[in-house]
Amino acid sequence: MIDHADNATEERPPLGAELRVALNLIPAHTWYANPSGALTFVNERGSDYLGLPKDHPLRFGINTAAGGDSLISFLHPADQEETSTVWSTCLHIGGVGQMSFRVRSAEGEYCWFLSSVEPVRASDGTLLYWIGINLKIEDPMQAESSLSDGDRLATPPLSQLMYGDLKESKARLEEAQRVAHVGYWVWNLDTDRVTWSDETYRIFGLRPQESPIDLATVREMIHPEDRESVFRTAEEAIRNGVRPDSEHRLILPSGEVRTVHSLGAVKRDASGRAYEMFGTVQDITDRKRTEEALQRTQFYLSEGQRLAHMGSWAFNAAGHYWSDELYKIYGLDPNNGAPTVEQYLALVHPQDRASIAETIKRMLEEHCGFDQIERIVRPDGQLRYVRAVAVPVVEQGVFKGFVGTTMDVTEQELLTQELRREKAYLAEAQSLTHIGSWAANFHTRQNFHLSDEVYRLHGFEPNQGPLALERFWDTLHPEDEPIVRATLENAIRTRTDYDIREFRVCRPDGSVRFLRTIGHHNRTGELGEYVGITMDITERKRAEEERERLRQLEADLAHINRVNMMGELAAALAHEIKQPIAASITSASACLRWLARDPPDLERARSAATRIERHGNRAADVMNRLRSFYKKGTPPEREMLKVADIVQEITVLLRKETVRYAITIHSNIDADLPDILADRVQLQQVFMNLMLNAIEAMKLNGGELTISSRLNSEGQVIVSISDTGVGLPMESTEKIFEAFQTTKPQGTGMGLAITRSILESHGGRVWATRNQDAGATFHFTLPVEAEAQA
Amino acid sequence: MKSEGLPTVFIVDDDSDMREAITDLVESAGLRAESFATGEEFLGKQRPSNPSCLVLDVRLPEMSGLDFQRQLADTNIQIPIIFITAHGDIPMSVRALKSGAVEFLTKPFRDQDLLDAIH
Repeated sequence: MIDHADNATEERPPLGAELRVALNLIPAHTWYANPSGALTFVNERGSDYLGLPKDHPLRFGINTAAGGDSLISFLHPADQEETSTVWSTCLHIGGVGQMSFRVRSAEGEYCWFLSSVEPVRASDGTLLYWIGINLKIEDPMQAESSLSDGDRLATPPLSQLMYGDLKESKARLEEAQRVAHVGYWVWNLDTDRVTWSDETYRIFGLRPQESPIDLATVREMIHPEDRESVFRTAEEAIRNGVRPDSEHRLILPSGEVRTVHSLGAVKRDASGRAYEMFGTVQDITDRKRTEEALQRTQFYLSEGQRLAHMGSWAFNAAGHYWSDELYKIYGLDPNNGAPTVEQYLALVHPQDRASIAETIKRMLEEHCGFDQIERIVRPDGQLRYVRAVAVPVVEQGVFKGFVGTTMDVTEQELLTQELRREKAYLAEAQSLTHIGSWAANFHTRQNFHLSDEVYRLHGFEPNQGPLALERFWDTLHPEDEPIVRATLENAIRTRTDYDIREFRVCRPDGSVRFLRTIGHHNRTGELGEYVGITMDITERKRAEEERERLRQLEADLAHINRVNMMGELAAALAHEIKQPIAASITSASACLRWLARDPPDLERARSAATRIERHGNRAADVMNRLRSFYKKGTPPEREMLKVADIVQEITVLLRKETVRYAITIHSNIDADLPDILADRVQLQQVFMNLMLNAIEAMKLNGGELTISSRLNSEGQVIVSISDTGVGLPMESTEKIFEAFQTTKPQGTGMGLAITRSILESHGGRVWATRNQDAGATFHFTLPVEAEAQA
Repeated sequence: MKSEGLPTVFIVDDDSDMREAITDLVESAGLRAESFATGEEFLGKQRPSNPSCLVLDVRLPEMSGLDFQRQLADTNIQIPIIFITAHGDIPMSVRALKSGAVEFLTKPFRDQDLLDAIH
């Protein structure tokens, strides 16, 4: 603001101290000149720039009687002639002027300035003096653009020369203020009224106005959080003479918050009483925002590094830079600076040290980057895994150094190791149990996972690389392939699980293995997507076969034992029966002889006949003992039995014989058949005898053995065992059930007799019929439970 | 009925029915018969010097008939032996006959066969 002193006297200079202070506060070069154009005053900024001595009269506004062109001498030689022309024209016509030129600084450098000058006249129109202001600008183009379009259009042929009144000049000054975002303010401490420049109004978000505003209004516009400190600074300035200098926020009427930098100076009267404070205010919001944005970016970067456990570094001609996070990763103190290569290697785990040293050596010699995981031991003894990446920086073909990142990957590495270990355990377990796991889509023929053991099960080497599903399929035994295919296709179609309990594969080395595979349909997945296991059941199957063979042998032995026992029993019986029969024949002979005497000795004959009777009874007793062998010899343990179960047991026991003689067994047991109460072992013996008989009859040509069972009209269970063998040779089918009747060379003839005996002891009966076509059928009945108990 | 001059048939058989039946048969043929359950009993009996013979069961509870035959030979007792058995076989009968047996009959035997052998 330029104070227009209407009542200023002609003896105005030298300038009053207070005005000088005010002028010195303006962040621009301000100067005064007498009506003839000689400089009379240059403010502090201007004097410092020009390098005027501290005691130079111009600093104090003392008329030095310098020449009218004293101003021109400070300018760049190229600008002097033009400026001189403009200046002398201004002096000649007494009008306002504006132009740009370069001014030499104390250091001898030239800077561009936009200069405005205007005359100050007394009320009678007499020119009192000139006042000028020089604003530093970047270059003339900026000076051009700082003028409005209208100004430039109005520029006359003598381009830099311009005419106008004071008001126009003031507008231009305001324009310059606006460009610099600097406003002025004057605070009258007596009235607490504040006068603002137009730019100050704009900075506060208000329309410029002429009349001063109330301090309270200004106070309201300062951000509440900053208000106290701003006024405290002002009070201290008034009290101590300290220049108020504060950075604070404003709240504009629009609600927008702006940050300003405010500088001030206190004016005092002769008694030292402060009566006015004068200052500038500059909007630094944008600069502040840029600063904050930069700080924020740096914060985000360092925070990002901290969160990612990642540090960065650079290594070039300028030195070795480490980010804060990098120091943290290595547990080092940032104050000690980045470590040397030797210091760094000391941090590396001894087992990794040699290879890292080699890597660094190659990096420095060959300018190549690297990416590797290494172990470090922090100064506190902690072991960490870090992944270090280095990239060479090459600018326009010239190697400039390295940049890199280092990430703490301890957790990931431990997890990876854990996974690797678990995978190894799983593979070991699979290898031990010969169970492989897999996941595949049979529809699209993709495999997602095939464990090493699956490869081995099919005879492939897992290390030979991945194989297509077809290769596995090709190992299927040709006889088993159709059933495996059918099972799989059915499962895929119905989206169900499957279990192929046994199939063979032919390994590439020619060996044949038995496998079992179980697949679970992945219900959340696609059609044909299955996960499952495949296991080698060859050993188990062989063990089962061996067990079955032993069991069969046992059964055969039991069978032979039974036959032997029957033989011995028969031999014993034969002797037992022979004695009484021999005795009775001898007694009969004697009897006949006594009767043949003359006269017959009836007494002795009767006595002999009595003995015959006794011998006969004795023989009968022996036979009875055979029957009672089952009745009381071993007390039968009767239990509820299912005919079907017994048939099944005996069928299993006789499997070997039926296979050997190509005999097929058909079981046709009525499902609703009631249980029967019988001694299990004896009933087994009945089935064994009858079925063995049937097998015996079909030994030569094979045939079919049919066992059927139903309930007859009398409510009894009737079982029929039918063969297609040689048939019954006897004339009477009844005779075969008698003891010692046999058609077999090795038979004892007791089998059917014992069978009948057992069945009769259970309240049943047995008979045989000839078949229409071939062979014979043996039938027997057994009462159902209720009847047996009755 | 019984007289001192009659030839005596000695019978050794552990089966009492058989013993009785043979005794009766021999007596019905008009001969004297004396029966024993074991060989020991027979040896303990004072034997007459008149003609006699021994009907011996092969299977005896304590000593088999064949062993008894050897024992008789060892003790110089000269008496014709007729073997009877319920389950004789050829090797056994050959051995018995070689050792001096008169006859080897299988039970049941025809009455005449025994009586012929005795005579």
